[in-house]
Amino acid sequence: MNKLTSPVLIIAAKEICDCSRNHWMGFMGSIFLLLSLSVTFAGSAVTGSLYLPDLASLMSSLSTISVFIIPLAAILLSYDSFVGEDESGTLLLLLSYPLTRSQILCGKLLGHMTVMLLATGFSFGLTAILLLLIGEQYQASELIAAFAQFLLSSNLLALTFILFSYIVSLKSTEKAKAVGCLLLVWFLFVLIYDLLLLTILVSDLSFVNQYVVNILIALSPTDLYRAINLMAIDGGDARGSLAMISQSDWGLAGTYALMLSWIAVLSWISHGVFKRKRL
Amino acid sequence: MNEIPIKLTDIGLKYDDFTALDGVSFEVESGQTMALLGHNGAGKSSLIKIILGLITPSSGSVNIMGSQGKLSHHKHKINLGYLPEDVSFYDKLTGREVLNYFAALKRVRPTRVADLIDEFGLGYAQDRQLKTYSKGMKQRLGVAQAILSEPGILLLDEPTVGLDPQASKFLYGKINQLKQAGCAVVVSTHELSLVESHMDTALIMSKGRRLALGTSSELSAGSSIKTGIEFAELASWVERDHYLRRFFIDGRLQVESAQKQQMIKYLVSQCQIFDFTLHKPKLEDIYHDLMMHPLVDQSAQQ
Repeated sequence: MNKLTSPVLIIAAKEICDCSRNHWMGFMGSIFLLLSLSVTFAGSAVTGSLYLPDLASLMSSLSTISVFIIPLAAILLSYDSFVGEDESGTLLLLLSYPLTRSQILCGKLLGHMTVMLLATGFSFGLTAILLLLIGEQYQASELIAAFAQFLLSSNLLALTFILFSYIVSLKSTEKAKAVGCLLLVWFLFVLIYDLLLLTILVSDLSFVNQYVVNILIALSPTDLYRAINLMAIDGGDARGSLAMISQSDWGLAGTYALMLSWIAVLSWISHGVFKRKRL
Repeated sequence: MNEIPIKLTDIGLKYDDFTALDGVSFEVESGQTMALLGHNGAGKSSLIKIILGLITPSSGSVNIMGSQGKLSHHKHKINLGYLPEDVSFYDKLTGREVLNYFAALKRVRPTRVADLIDEFGLGYAQDRQLKTYSKGMKQRLGVAQAILSEPGILLLDEPTVGLDPQASKFLYGKINQLKQAGCAVVVSTHELSLVESHMDTALIMSKGRRLALGTSSELSAGSSIKTGIEFAELASWVERDHYLRRFFIDGRLQVESAQKQQMIKYLVSQCQIFDFTLHKPKLEDIYHDLMMHPLVDQSAQQ
């Protein structure tokens, strides 16, 4: 740590060290790996035979499961970032140091993003390597591009939930309240909103045209994540409501831009909340 | 140079309709230790946060090492050490890693960390995670953190709470060393008997207002607590001396602070008594007295 000179890098390095010591990285990396290997190599078992799925089906299956797991992992990683330091007295101490609040926020964000990237990169990267070695039907460039895209979108989704966690953590007075509130956010965005959106899509309501669908997708980072991954594989084998998501007019670049807008807005809110936090 | 490290003038702090601080003024000079005393919620922590530049007062002026105005803009230039109350450092890191982390943030050279680990007797545990440290070890680490940059101002919030007498003695020894090196030290504490022999001045707060400020003698003079005087055969002296009898209460002579010199002079010159014991009011007694009779101190503030 003392070889680094930038406060942002020093704080990031400390966060990475903390996450590796408390076994978050090892535990979540193992969960992601187990999930990724199960979906890839045992996903076909439900059909009564074992075979490697085609790339589109594989990415679709992986993203369908990741949309639940990645936000949860991001929340567990960062829910106590500020309320934890506040409870232990180190937040007050850090603020007495020659640091700005932006530096503290950026340092934590960089550290948590690196941890998330390492955990997902290791597990999904290892799956991609195994597929390259074992699966003869895959084209190396396509496989690498698909996994790189999947990793990028997964980490952007993680970033949005890390920022949600920061806002809640900054607003909370106790760790337990923070984790409770964040589980509610996860429940609303990942389960309820998603389910409501899919219900609206299949219920054939007169006012629901593609324009309304586009807006509804843009209002949830998890649905943007679904849309990104469906579009990246040209709709894949998406059927029914998922096919409507993949037909969103935003386009892949537009959907990424919307995801980045979410990140920008959440970063701005986090910074504002931190700046106004009463000590 | 010779600027006063800490100078707060007529500080007021309001949160909506709650007044946290009301017209508080004090200064701490280099090489001086000020004890910041008061009940819970008296405004001690708010004062420390104002010195740290973490909150801006609603009124009054703050001058820290010559920097005035909004301190958050100046804290990069001020060499200040701080130990928060009951701080719990990162349990998963080792003692050395914690100090290295804070040293890196203050751009302090790593050799200073090694020196402090030795100085604070933490060498044997430097590579152990903090969760294995005792309260005393954590507190020593906390003080080492606070003095990493050899600060000109040191703020300690309850540094000895929960420590055994040996550990408290060690910490105050370190504080005295820093004081002698010219550091202005502010110690917020409820342990009055411990801080008494190490402080130069004390600021006593109550409900956001300054009750008293001064040295032990000045505080004593401002309180209604009397100085006790005892010597051999006091009872027989009191029987035959009308003057002494006026001051004889509860088995000893009790005189107001202002009368002390006069009484000593009387004992030495009139009674030829040279061997007597003075019982000066303890800080704890003065504190309780000021809390009970705050108005008595108004003159001492002037």
